Amino acid sequence: MTLLITAVSLIGGFIIAVPAALVRINRVPVLSQIASAYVTVIRGTPMLMHLFLIYYGLPILIDSVSRKLNLGFTSVSIPIVYFVFVAFSLTAGAYMTEVIRAGIQAVDRGQVEAAYSVGMTPVQTFKRIVLPQALAVSLLNLSSEVIGMLHGTTLAFTVSITEINGRANIVASTNWKFFEAYIAAALMFWGLTVLIERVTARIEKKINTFNRGGVA
Amino acid sequence: METTFDISYVFDFLPKLAAYIQITLFIVICSVVLGLAVGLLWALPRMYNVPVLKNLSAILVSFFRGTPVLIQLFLIYYGMPEVLKLVSIDVTRTSVLVFVILTYTLNSAAYMCEIIRAAVAAVDRGQVEAAYSIGMTKYQAFTRIMLPQALAVSMPNFANKVLANLKETSLAYTLGTMDISGKAQTLGSATMHFFETYIALSLIYFVISMILEQLFLLAERRLHRHERHYKVRTGSRRSLRSRQTGKEDEGLFSSTRSLS
Repeated sequence: MTLLITAVSLIGGFIIAVPAALVRINRVPVLSQIASAYVTVIRGTPMLMHLFLIYYGLPILIDSVSRKLNLGFTSVSIPIVYFVFVAFSLTAGAYMTEVIRAGIQAVDRGQVEAAYSVGMTPVQTFKRIVLPQALAVSLLNLSSEVIGMLHGTTLAFTVSITEINGRANIVASTNWKFFEAYIAAALMFWGLTVLIERVTARIEKKINTFNRGGVA
Repeated sequence: METTFDISYVFDFLPKLAAYIQITLFIVICSVVLGLAVGLLWALPRMYNVPVLKNLSAILVSFFRGTPVLIQLFLIYYGMPEVLKLVSIDVTRTSVLVFVILTYTLNSAAYMCEIIRAAVAAVDRGQVEAAYSIGMTKYQAFTRIMLPQALAVSMPNFANKVLANLKETSLAYTLGTMDISGKAQTLGSATMHFFETYIALSLIYFVISMILEQLFLLAERRLHRHERHYKVRTGSRRSLRSRQTGKEDEGLFSSTRSLS
């Protein structure tokens, strides 16, 4: 459950983040302001707030819409986990927008010009030249993002989703061994975090083989 | 969920929540100040390569950075009394706030430790050698040469952690602390207008973060005032970018985390 929430929110966040980052870099008039407001607001408020706002706010919206359209559909039938997905995707999206933006901006402008000069189209340039390098640059930030989201999923228990931590809570309240249950949960998170760090270090090494002799 | 959205509740709740701001700020300030002290304590054995203490500090830092704050809160809140009972110290009547502050202190200490290490490593070794060569004492070299530069380098990371800390204090309500989040919880259940409560709460957090961010920008500019070519960052767009680069700097030493 923990991993599912983490994975879904990261993928959701990525889907939001790439267009948002592109819009901000290219300064697309209205969209750029919207994206920047979104990033500022999300980064300026706690993740718990996003969760609660979506959890309590979205049903009101859905219900009023469905009442207007006479869909005979109420938000009660939607599993809580979807709200968690939406909320965490929004959180991850904002942080990743900044990570990706920083990554793209770190790619030398000359690279893009060189790509154009050999006749690549803008889409080709972005896909083949900019994106791979940008991802390589932002790898560390991305991995801290992944760890952050992993840790963030512990908040999901506040709206009662059973992930590792929620499970710890339930186990604990049935046999009153809070301490042991939380130690187990802590160890699991610790292990996962260390694992992610190791994997990142590995990938980084691999990426940097193409960078030999370079400056960046 | 039958209640309808009513914006007037947001304005109604804002002052009620704002009355509890000092608790939140108290937790943040205590944990940052104490965290800085403890973090320095943890960083010292690693910078000076003290055998056993070095490994101990590495494990502590890895643990507090590798587990979610929420789990740490629960561990300390439920675990500390049990452990202290073994040495027959009764803490059952200690305020929850003590446990909360302790947790956030240890958590920020782990991050501060890394920030301090990164900052000290970022100052060129030649600077200290130059200071010695013109006859400065060890203490002088540290306070006049090392510290000002290290502080300037670490400012973005430090600001990052403080802001993250502010946002993480929103978890303290799970133990029953009456900070702004705890108050929001009770207001929400009393009126059944959760959505409006959380909008008001988010607004408060947002405003505090923005104020803090501006303050840190000012501090950063002041710390860099001797560097003529240093680009002074102003406005939110640039500051966000500086946040990013700050994050990258720290990332060299190992990954950071700054959300929740």
